[in-house]
Amino acid sequence: MELFALEHKKLWRGTGTRICVLLCFAYFVLYGGVLGYQWFLYGSEGDDPTRAYNHRFDGYCAIRDYKELAAGYGGVWTDETLPRMVKDYNDMGHPGFQNMADWTLALLYVDRLYPELEDPEQRFISMMYYVDPEELTDFYGRRQEYLEQALETRRQNGELTEDDVAMLLEMDSQVEKPWRYEWVTGWDHEVRSLAGMGAQLAPWLAVALAFTFSGERQSGASALLRAAKHGRRRLARAKVLSALAFSAEIYALIVGGSVALQFVYLGTDGWDLPIQYDDLLTVAPWNMLQAELYALAFSFLNVIGYAGLVMLLSALVKSNVLSVILSLAVVYGPGLLEDYLPRWARHALQLLPPASGGADIFACHVFHIFGKGIWSPYVLITVPVLIGLACLPLAVMCWSRRR
Amino acid sequence: MELSLNCLTKFFGRKAAVDCVSARLGPGVYGLLGANGAGKTTLLRMLCAILEPTCGEACFNGREVASMGEAYRDALGYLPQDFGVYPNYTAAEFLSYIAVLKGIPRERAGRRVQELLELMDLTPAAGKKLGTFSGGMRQRVGVAQALLNDPQILVLDEPTSGMDPKERVRLRNLLSEYAGDKIVILSTHIVSDVEAIADRVFVMNAGKFIMQGTVPELARAVEGKVWELTVPRGRARQWQERVMVANYRREGEQVVLRIVSDERPSDEAAPCESILDDAYLYYFGGAEARR
Repeated sequence: MELFALEHKKLWRGTGTRICVLLCFAYFVLYGGVLGYQWFLYGSEGDDPTRAYNHRFDGYCAIRDYKELAAGYGGVWTDETLPRMVKDYNDMGHPGFQNMADWTLALLYVDRLYPELEDPEQRFISMMYYVDPEELTDFYGRRQEYLEQALETRRQNGELTEDDVAMLLEMDSQVEKPWRYEWVTGWDHEVRSLAGMGAQLAPWLAVALAFTFSGERQSGASALLRAAKHGRRRLARAKVLSALAFSAEIYALIVGGSVALQFVYLGTDGWDLPIQYDDLLTVAPWNMLQAELYALAFSFLNVIGYAGLVMLLSALVKSNVLSVILSLAVVYGPGLLEDYLPRWARHALQLLPPASGGADIFACHVFHIFGKGIWSPYVLITVPVLIGLACLPLAVMCWSRRR
Repeated sequence: MELSLNCLTKFFGRKAAVDCVSARLGPGVYGLLGANGAGKTTLLRMLCAILEPTCGEACFNGREVASMGEAYRDALGYLPQDFGVYPNYTAAEFLSYIAVLKGIPRERAGRRVQELLELMDLTPAAGKKLGTFSGGMRQRVGVAQALLNDPQILVLDEPTSGMDPKERVRLRNLLSEYAGDKIVILSTHIVSDVEAIADRVFVMNAGKFIMQGTVPELARAVEGKVWELTVPRGRARQWQERVMVANYRREGEQVVLRIVSDERPSDEAAPCESILDDAYLYYFGGAEARR
């Protein structure tokens, strides 16, 4: 325990670690969080559409306006809600999609569920501008049709089996209809952002942790450590634990900051909205709070899994630079290779921490493991962390045996 | 207590870094002398069970050191050559860290760290980060960490490098005092360090012990081969090119040369008493001799 505490202190004392944590905090919490909420993400739309960030510095008030606007639709998403929303949008003189009011939802639904209403002559402008709201009928029926069609296409492509389709439709049947409605975009954005946090933190973790073992060689203290009574095995264990603790701490710091900002800016209302709003193909009968908890668990376990993988890479190579490069390759490599790999290999790479499919709760993929179809969110939350944890004893063994 | 080396050998590729070295070491201070690349560090690393011998074995009290594992490392204190420290740790923290690695209980470790900081004259710098330390100070921290567990076998590889003369004398005295009933092995190519404190000296060249004995015994090995010759300053350079000059001392317009040679270099040369430096020079040819 004492060794763990000292290793942990050593890790935090590293200049690289401190810079990394500071930059990470500044980027995620101050820039992406505070400025995002108050300005470039949730701020109301500015007057100059040519500006990159055409937003006012009024996010807190703007969010209240978005909520008020959504509340005007009566708290339930009925077949009449979409036509009303489209009509309001046009009556208000097209307030734009840059702000975070739920206009983008309406745009998405019109586009996906009523493709026959698209005017080929006006292909380059949004359907919201010209569709007749009266024609946007039977929202839930259309959505069901859209979902079944999409699943059937995937079945024909070999991505899903008949059993998978049946399983996914069965899940969808458990979603309560009609959906409750409040302002959705805020929750949706936060859940997606938190689910992707594992992948976003990974490069920072790579820089902070890649030196854990390889750095000892470069510090020149190796002979000294090997001649000490407990040798390198116990030290390796302490290093692994301190790296895991560090990963959890940096996660808590960044994600804790993000969640705290979410409470301040978005509040808690809307927690029980169904997650189907974001993606019409979502089948999980979950609400936003459940989705956020999943996203938190998913990204945390991915961070831990990734830390395990970085430990192993650090123990395997002697060079700090190589260790960082390999750790970063694990993050970016699968994305770069994606287009050149068969589907099964792409699926397999998804399982390598940090698994990038964080928002898979919104999709409906199925992994086939030992012939059994398993809904992808279950696989993505468990396998990457198991891979990472399996790397830990290997890292300890590798480093303590290295001469 | 005995540390025995039984034909200890280490090959790197086809080159023998240590070539069938044997010795028996009881309590006392042992000096390991040799030029750079003589195999001293490789030998010490095998003694510390950090490096596996190609053949032969090192035994502590009859048991092979590699197989003793923690028990052997518990009895060992080692200062490697060119050891690294963590620049963001203070001296006290670094010693505490090593104390934990050595399995010293916390209370004892705290006391021992303070004792050693004081002993190595590091107390005023105890709270400073190691990254700010001079070479000599770092070396003293290195010696302190080797002494933390009060080892029965203390192995120091080039302990005085980077130290100023005062620190070197202090360390030599400390090691002499420490030895008592323990085995202290001191590897260096600074002859005076060994000469001052070693009970027995091993001279190593090309992976082998080419000489061993007490300091007077080794010095006697070149008895009758050390000469003193006074020459005019203008001719000193010629003599330096012709023979091995162990010392060059100016006396007005004259120069007194201390020459190591099998034969009397000149009729004017007077025989003089040999010391360990002369023996070292005799066997290593002078390049590493005096610093």
